[in-house]
Amino acid sequence: MDSSKLDPLKQIALDQFVIITLPSEKCKIVELKGNTSVSLGKFGAFHVNDIVGYPLGTKFEIYYDSETVETIGGDEPVKPNKKNKITKVNIGKVRIVEKDTKRDDGLDNVGNSHNNKELINLGSDIQKMTSDDIEALKKQSTSANEIISKIIESHGTFDKKTLFSQEKYLKRKKQKFDKQFVVNYLSANLLLQYLIDKNDIQRIMDMSEESIGMLLNLANIRPNGTYLCMDETGGLLIYFLLERMFGGDDTTGATGKIVVVHENEHPNFDLLKYSNYSEKFIAEHVIPISILEYFEPRTVEEVELDFKPLSREEVSELKSGAKNTYFRKLKWHKIHLQAIDVATKWVYDGLVVATTLHLPTLLPQLGKRVHGSRPIVCYSQFKEVLLELSHTLYDDLNYLAPTIIETKCRPYQSIRGRIHPLMTMKGGGGYLLWCHKVIPAPEPELIPTESVPNNDKGDTVEK
Amino acid sequence: MSQFTEYKDLIQEGDIALIWISRGNIKAVTIDSKETFNTRYGSFQHSDMIGKPYGSQIAIRTRGTGRFAFIHVLQPTPELWTLSLPHRTQIVYTPDSSYIMQRMNCSPHTRVIEAGTGSGSFSHAFARTVQQLYTYEFHPVRYEQAKEEFKKHGILDENVIITHRDVCEDGFTIKPTDTTSAQFSEEEITSGMKQLNATAVFLDLPAPWDAIHHLDKVIATDEQVHVCCFSPCIEQVDKTIESLENNGWTQIEMVEIQGRQYESRRQMVRSMEDAMQRCRDIKRRKKEGIEKKQSLIEREENNNTTSTNTEHTQREPFTEKAKFNPFGKGIRVKEGDPGYKWKQVTKIESEIKSHTSYLTFAIKLVDKTRNETLVQECLNETK
Ligand SMILES: C[S@@+](CC[C@H](N)C(=O)[O-])C[C@H]1O[C@@H](n2cnc3c(N)ncnc32)[C@H](O)[C@@H]1O
Repeated sequence: MDSSKLDPLKQIALDQFVIITLPSEKCKIVELKGNTSVSLGKFGAFHVNDIVGYPLGTKFEIYYDSETVETIGGDEPVKPNKKNKITKVNIGKVRIVEKDTKRDDGLDNVGNSHNNKELINLGSDIQKMTSDDIEALKKQSTSANEIISKIIESHGTFDKKTLFSQEKYLKRKKQKFDKQFVVNYLSANLLLQYLIDKNDIQRIMDMSEESIGMLLNLANIRPNGTYLCMDETGGLLIYFLLERMFGGDDTTGATGKIVVVHENEHPNFDLLKYSNYSEKFIAEHVIPISILEYFEPRTVEEVELDFKPLSREEVSELKSGAKNTYFRKLKWHKIHLQAIDVATKWVYDGLVVATTLHLPTLLPQLGKRVHGSRPIVCYSQFKEVLLELSHTLYDDLNYLAPTIIETKCRPYQSIRGRIHPLMTMKGGGGYLLWCHKVIPAPEPELIPTESVPNNDKGDTVEK
Repeated sequence: MSQFTEYKDLIQEGDIALIWISRGNIKAVTIDSKETFNTRYGSFQHSDMIGKPYGSQIAIRTRGTGRFAFIHVLQPTPELWTLSLPHRTQIVYTPDSSYIMQRMNCSPHTRVIEAGTGSGSFSHAFARTVQQLYTYEFHPVRYEQAKEEFKKHGILDENVIITHRDVCEDGFTIKPTDTTSAQFSEEEITSGMKQLNATAVFLDLPAPWDAIHHLDKVIATDEQVHVCCFSPCIEQVDKTIESLENNGWTQIEMVEIQGRQYESRRQMVRSMEDAMQRCRDIKRRKKEGIEKKQSLIEREENNNTTSTNTEHTQREPFTEKAKFNPFGKGIRVKEGDPGYKWKQVTKIESEIKSHTSYLTFAIKLVDKTRNETLVQECLNETK
């Protein structure tokens, strides 16, 4: 790899999409452009140049000192009725947060007590600082920890709270005043997380990370396979496949291809724009074909009626304008010819489907060009849809053991001594149907060729 | 070339193939034209398989009964291997391993450390995807067995290095003097060790907290490194979190994965109307039976000649024939019999894996600096 360049898989690079986690745990997707700045709304703003080159995953903190006067329009809409309505955000400086503040930091220097008997009211009267005081602090102060320490100092009964409520209080305050943010690589995982948090569930067919992870493994996705795919999630599923096959960039030299059957005139791969792959790379490895082209391919003769490649001499005689048109048409001609091969000649190493088309009619058709022994995995938001499909495949001798699978990740509060499942979690996440393509044998003749059982060696004999 | 990393078209002599007898019964065999695969249904000649495409069904008539019996010959994949492998230890199953791989963003750029190797279930799944797998096992017999197996499967020559090691005692560095499958370059012999630069770590050991502090020597420093510890008990999770925190790992989160499988079944649709009709029918027949009996008795009384025997043979066929039987009561109805109406339903497995292990994830980023000259060059380019 070229070590004189930033590696966008490891380092924060320019012209790259990254995902920024805000103190509120919300996320924001940003394309990093040199010499510009990024506003995180109420959390502040920073210069892109200040973060470039640091490793992805670095945690930064925005701070302000006397030199920082620049502002940028705040694009994070903040509830308008609040008095801290933001129209302009000061661009601060950033520093690296070396040690990720541990949960109980800040508690160490405050006397804490294990009883809250004396606590009657935790209301604002205990807090001696007014919100104006706090606002003033925010303007001048450097870090959230300092603000919080000041608030705690002036909090008359902080040490009367139980350790537990102290921590809750700190977490709430920290989220409010923290100016720390993490810049992460925009993996398919995080893109999915982002869309889920944004409640774009329908757009991504309610897929969960665990369902996709399982789909990729069950489909045995490898760097060198040729896969047939339908993706109704705007390219998210393809992004997952590409990451699994090529690892996020163009450098592995792997040869795999994904043929994507789509329903419209043009495929919708919107979400791929967030990836690091070049257009050329995508064009080489992701081959879209409409469902009509796939199932009713044109013949080579038909394609050649539309366009006939010229001989080398004929091309050299074209004027430059005509030459350009010619090469553009030639490119399309090649794509049309490839589409015929894709539909009639290619054999697939796996079939991966996430579509709302009627599966019992679609899948046996798509399965035709899948090689024997290769896996087929079908995703659906609804179990009933896969149930119908499984009955259809069960009656079809070309598919072995269709199985409906559900996988669910249950997150825990992961604090020592207080480990328990979170009180709520996302429902949904979808279902998978997994089977293998097989080749049925003709009925054997009644008299078998004499078999000599070889008992002295090897194979397990069933009882 | 590896059976596990190349797509093969035809079944060939010497291949490792998986023979699918039924869902719970998949067997690995080495294809040998002189061999036979025996099942309780009959014997399948390997020579009948050779030359056919993978996925082919092989059918025979069973000796004696002459019934149709068949198997399917599949090319191994890590997931099918997990379902068929010889268990030397507890193993990680696909719902867990697939989530772990996804969450750690495993790809051809990932270099993974795995301890212990155990039965090699997860090792195969990692090997398919990642750039390099370093796996460690301290049990001498399991180490040898796993090494042989990886060699046979062709992954030892590709991207798997197995080392005999107690990772809690001795950490993860691989030296030329170790018992390991690793090959060393000149440079590595001079420096005395392999440069692992791991970007993902999976610990499936009883005491992962004793291994975590050894990781700093072998993980990549210039990018984020993921770790996942796999432990069945909550007490282990607690100790693991403590160790992760003390060793500078962040974003610690524990989760649990629940995998479920459903069987596709059918339930007969039995209408209320049919049920009522059946009641009416029973009632009617009962009434008719009584009337018939009555009339018979009357007739008997009239001409005292009929024997009890003939009386029975006359009465029975009468009731049988008129029976309204919409649900196939008293006969064996196969699920899905086209003579009846069915509703498709799912049934969850009768025994569920309700707990495998807790998965504790964390991330570490060692070097948080940037190369200022490189950054300046990049910024200058944009101006
Ligand atoms: C549960 S098994 C791992 C199963 C494996 N993940 C799989 O999917 O097949 C745990 C293995 O770790 C090994 N082991 C335990 N402690 C170890 C240590 N300190 N160093 C190396 N291996 C260890 C055991 O011998 C055992 O084979």
